[in-house]
Amino acid sequence: MPTAHSRTGPDPVSGALAADRLGAPSVVYFVLSAAAPLTVVAGVVTTAYAVTGITGLPVAFLAVGLVLALFAVGYVAMARHMANAGAFYTYISRGLGRPAGIAAAWVALIAYNALQVGLYGAFGAAAIPLVERWAGVTPPWWTLSLVAWALVALFGVMRVDLNGRLLAVLLTAEVAVILLFDAADLFAPGPAGLSAQTLSPAALFVPGVGALLVIATLGFVGFESAVVFSEESRDPRRTVPISTYAAVAIIAGLYALSAWAMTVAIGPGNIVETARRDGAETIFVIATGQLGSVVVDIARVLFVTSLFAAMISFHNTTARYFFALGRERVLPAAFGRTRPRTGAPKAGSIAQSVLGLVVIVLYAVLGLDPLVQLFFYGGAFGGFGVLLLVFATSIAVIAFFSREPSGESVTRRLIAPVPAAVALAVMVSLAVSNFSTLLGVEKGHPLAWVLPTVYAAAAVVGLVWALVLRAGQPGVYSRVGMGAKAVTVPEAVR
Amino acid sequence: MLADDFFLIVWDTTGTGKPRLYVPGIALGLAGALLGELVLEERVTVRGVRLQVADRQPLREYVADRVLADIGNSPQHTEVRTWLAYFAQRALPDVTGRLIRAGLLERERPKVLKRKQSRYFSTEFGQAVWPSTRLRLSLVRWQPLTTHDMALAALVDACGMTDSVVEDPANRQDARRYLTTVLAAMPQPLRDLSSHVSAAVGDAVLTYRT
Repeated sequence: MPTAHSRTGPDPVSGALAADRLGAPSVVYFVLSAAAPLTVVAGVVTTAYAVTGITGLPVAFLAVGLVLALFAVGYVAMARHMANAGAFYTYISRGLGRPAGIAAAWVALIAYNALQVGLYGAFGAAAIPLVERWAGVTPPWWTLSLVAWALVALFGVMRVDLNGRLLAVLLTAEVAVILLFDAADLFAPGPAGLSAQTLSPAALFVPGVGALLVIATLGFVGFESAVVFSEESRDPRRTVPISTYAAVAIIAGLYALSAWAMTVAIGPGNIVETARRDGAETIFVIATGQLGSVVVDIARVLFVTSLFAAMISFHNTTARYFFALGRERVLPAAFGRTRPRTGAPKAGSIAQSVLGLVVIVLYAVLGLDPLVQLFFYGGAFGGFGVLLLVFATSIAVIAFFSREPSGESVTRRLIAPVPAAVALAVMVSLAVSNFSTLLGVEKGHPLAWVLPTVYAAAAVVGLVWALVLRAGQPGVYSRVGMGAKAVTVPEAVR
Repeated sequence: MLADDFFLIVWDTTGTGKPRLYVPGIALGLAGALLGELVLEERVTVRGVRLQVADRQPLREYVADRVLADIGNSPQHTEVRTWLAYFAQRALPDVTGRLIRAGLLERERPKVLKRKQSRYFSTEFGQAVWPSTRLRLSLVRWQPLTTHDMALAALVDACGMTDSVVEDPANRQDARRYLTTVLAAMPQPLRDLSSHVSAAVGDAVLTYRT
């Protein structure tokens, strides 16, 4: 690809291609609007306090941010050599071999689907208070979730994306509201005063810390997507790394601050109880006393729009995973086709929507809780899957650069990636052993081992599938991890 | 010419005047078709990811000659994907302009919303539907295709439009099977070119900004 700067005088081709390229601020905006900050602060953080019963989340965000920043050094360097840079399985496929890549692709499909489907639960729970206020009726949560589901399903196939400018406005408003709430919390500290207890590293040395690390990882999901824009960015070698580090730093700072501010307002000793009582209402209840009901109503609306934006974003991410795998023929070719009128990855979009509908109906019929058992479990399960992918990718980065140094510095090849991989290994092992805390169930509860086992099973199925492909369809096997570029691999190599 | 035929397939010029395929996809397909015209006339060669001018002699057709001149004037750019991205930016006005000058197309500009897409209507029904009819008949009846039509079929398929050309779902499976053999028999440069169009269209799906 051409770079924006030519060596010899003005270059009309490079100039024309660079005209609508993205700078780092735009890329950061794209990344953060998909991360949907208010969804995390109002939904994930409060529910996490309630479910896990431990309070070290603020410092966990900082710790995970550090690890991911370290991980990102090698990750963005390797991204430059990837055909389908947005997807972790591409890296794993190149670094650790195609069987591992296909196993990772299955894990990724499950994880991103879980994240997306979980959002339907939060949407129902978050929209009920608004409907109550405005219409005076209290519908069951799943009716609202189904409305959101129908819109997402339609938008997915029609490829109606929320306008970039609208998303930017919503994101700015979300961040403004979060900062306003944080300021209000910090100016009116609760019984313990401005206690830094939940920000101190000591808060990480408690039983169940693995749960906090998974939840913090969940908050960062989306940071990996800046690399997708490398071909569209003004100067990929600078824009993409800067955007990735900026996104990680902003997420870590904003979430740590907000999670901490909540504990300051209520007192670190009371946050768990309050969150258990008020659920997703927690931050709104706190803020009503401080800022008045108008601001809080605006915030509630933003919470709902934030959830909706996140749903569309994760829906599209998932549909594109299906699409890339369809193009590689790892999944049936139908997944690799688009709807002509819109260019939407139709089959993947429909598959995602069908899964969402099944889950919503199942939860409605079984009478399960939308916030804890759908949103939080979905998020925790998906977040754990993403943690596994990041960990596997961190190993893949080291393996890839040890075989192909590709002119990268030793810092990018080893000095940053090795400690990142070690830290991620610790995080994964803590997460596995603390899975019952993550779900808020007693030790030995079947869910605490069934959910991690799902990923193990998916990985095994993926490995077997890879071996089947290698024996039966070597052409397909050789193209694993190529994404849309799979089609350009010449026949002879196949 | 190849790009004209491609346009008449992906644009509903005999009915609504609106595109049948999303416009960024059309732009990439047309860019591929403009390059394809030069490959068919042996002015440009494509090999793997690279593209090169083989013969600078003009075709005496304004649009094609401008494409040829642009490539010839920037020999430092050799990647097919670079040129696809570059020509995609202006392929739609280039190709519709050519059809309008030939008296085959009329343009209807949006009256109220200036930013909306123009509509295009063909002046001659038979000429407008001939490319897609020709492709459909060849694919469904398993008839041999000219090199020009192979390239056309390959580009249409790269943009995900095969199902729209073969309208009857009952014929699609057979047509697709025949298309696979046709594509395999196509000259290497055209095969490489259309595979890059396909990859560019797919990458556009994967990197779409949400």
